[in-house]
Amino acid sequence: MSEVSQDNSVWESIPVGDDLGVMDYVMTEKMIADYREVVGNPTAAYPTVAARHPANLFYRKYRSVMRVPNTGHDSQFFNPPIAGKRIFVKATVTDKYIRREKTYLIIEATATDEDGRLIEISRLVGLARPTTRPALADVAKKWEKK
Amino acid sequence: MAAPLKVGDRLASFTREIEEQKMILFERVVWDRGSNSHSDPEAAKRDGMSKVIASGQNQMAFYHELLERNFGDAWVYGGRISARYIHPVYPGDKLTPHGEVTEVAEVDGKPLVTVKLWVEKQDGTKSSVGTAWAGQPSDERSWIEGGKA
Repeated sequence: MSEVSQDNSVWESIPVGDDLGVMDYVMTEKMIADYREVVGNPTAAYPTVAARHPANLFYRKYRSVMRVPNTGHDSQFFNPPIAGKRIFVKATVTDKYIRREKTYLIIEATATDEDGRLIEISRLVGLARPTTRPALADVAKKWEKK
Repeated sequence: MAAPLKVGDRLASFTREIEEQKMILFERVVWDRGSNSHSDPEAAKRDGMSKVIASGQNQMAFYHELLERNFGDAWVYGGRISARYIHPVYPGDKLTPHGEVTEVAEVDGKPLVTVKLWVEKQDGTKSSVGTAWAGQPSDERSWIEGGKA
């Protein structure tokens, strides 16, 4: 039996265009400093990379039933966040497909700050796995036996 | 003034070692994701892995640094990237992000440089591949001085 035919009812139930809602947070000076320290780049422009906007909003809605380990990103960056400014993020499911018998979801998040500056549009390419299965089993199967 | 890039040019790069402690912290800065397969060996086992695995966003951070260093404002204000994570990265791996210019064009009267990207591990394995697009490199680093007006 192929993987797609197993336990994919959750993936099937998530519609393209699904509104994942909005969230907001303040990008503090400490967040920026901590991010720069962790990635070893003292002038890193986009600490939002660690905020994982698409996954963050997806999990607020689907954490109990689905995981979306990221296999890639398609993103554009417009203005780095400014310390002390509140960031607003909205997200939707923009596509879904099956490739090589695996189910994927594309989740797009748009971030703007309190002044209306567009910060980034980030698209997560997520390998959609129901929480009933180990999220990284495919990675392990493919790479850890080599 | 930064020299314009041409097809075949390689971006100046760097090498970083993936440290487990920093992987854990990466999961907590900006958004605390709690225990997961990137920060907790037990969570990694539950996800099917034998040990913790670095998140794809860890590699995205290296792509950003590569592009910030080489393009300045031309990357930070309007740059675009498509990346795929194709091989797992573990603590102790040494990663080097690479970029090679594959096309230089003009779109809507503005230069557009296309860069083939990849991240290479210490044994030569590619852990990620992708493409980035930005204008010709700029000497400006406006985000460091407080951002563009």
